[in-house]
Amino acid sequence: MVVYAVLILNKAGGLIYQRDFNPGLQKISANDYLIIAGTFHGVHAITSQISPTNDTGSSGLEVLESEHFVMRCFQTLTGIKFLIFAEPRQPNLDVVVRRVYELYADYVMKNPFYQIEMPIRSEGFDRHLAAYIKPQA
Amino acid sequence: MVVYSFFIFDRHCECIYIRQWLESTSTPAPAQPLSRPVTASSATTTATSTAEKPTSGNKLSMAEQAKLVFGVIFSLRNMVKKLCGPDDSFLCFRTGHYKLHYYETITSLRFVMLTDIRTENLKLSLHQIYVNLYVEYVVKNPLSPVEHAGGEGVNNEMFELGIDGFVRTIQ
Repeated sequence: MVVYAVLILNKAGGLIYQRDFNPGLQKISANDYLIIAGTFHGVHAITSQISPTNDTGSSGLEVLESEHFVMRCFQTLTGIKFLIFAEPRQPNLDVVVRRVYELYADYVMKNPFYQIEMPIRSEGFDRHLAAYIKPQA
Repeated sequence: MVVYSFFIFDRHCECIYIRQWLESTSTPAPAQPLSRPVTASSATTTATSTAEKPTSGNKLSMAEQAKLVFGVIFSLRNMVKKLCGPDDSFLCFRTGHYKLHYYETITSLRFVMLTDIRTENLKLSLHQIYVNLYVEYVVKNPLSPVEHAGGEGVNNEMFELGIDGFVRTIQ
């Protein structure tokens, strides 16, 4: 499993966590990541509006494919978005993103010092995420 | 697979062609799956009737939807280029209800197709539409203007028939 990066966005579209795991994406500044997070938040809202089907409660963007990567987005009921960037044709990204959500629930939400909607600075979360995504390192 | 709609945007970011196919299940008396074509030139006149039609299910008119679609592909394209360098391009994205396929030519002509989510990547099909239909019937048409402001020159009969036939073959 080659996961390039994990991003977590709060419900207002702010970037609260960003970490690279494998080389594959360009090195861009923290400011650019903030811009990307904000842009994606808006795009995600629009993609649920342009649905051509009659079904109500359309979800926003879930999987984005490009020539060099695939991105899986998972939005929780509380509006937090988890973005996983991985190499193309990577299977089971759903499982990965849900496991990251579990780790978030265990090591961020259960941390009594964590302020909600604020950037995540949790050593336990960092360690367990790295152990899950990149076990060999 | 089901094809919902098809858009072409030119290098000035303007929508020069819209085509919408309604699902056969959503029309009361479906004679054929490809029922109600809407072209860019007639989009302004038919926009209200399309929006009012309860079976269409779209709260937005096609012209408004085209603007939103362009906003989405423009932002995602820039996002992908920033993340992976200028030689990468965005191919498609999927939501819970539809999938959007994107193809951009070197001349910044953008082809967008909305289909159901089970469809495989249609980059090659969009390329075929560009090579076999757009170049043949629009670019090589001596009566067609160089710039297609308002969809002028794109919505000719041969191109429409070609698109219809092509979508039937991939459906």
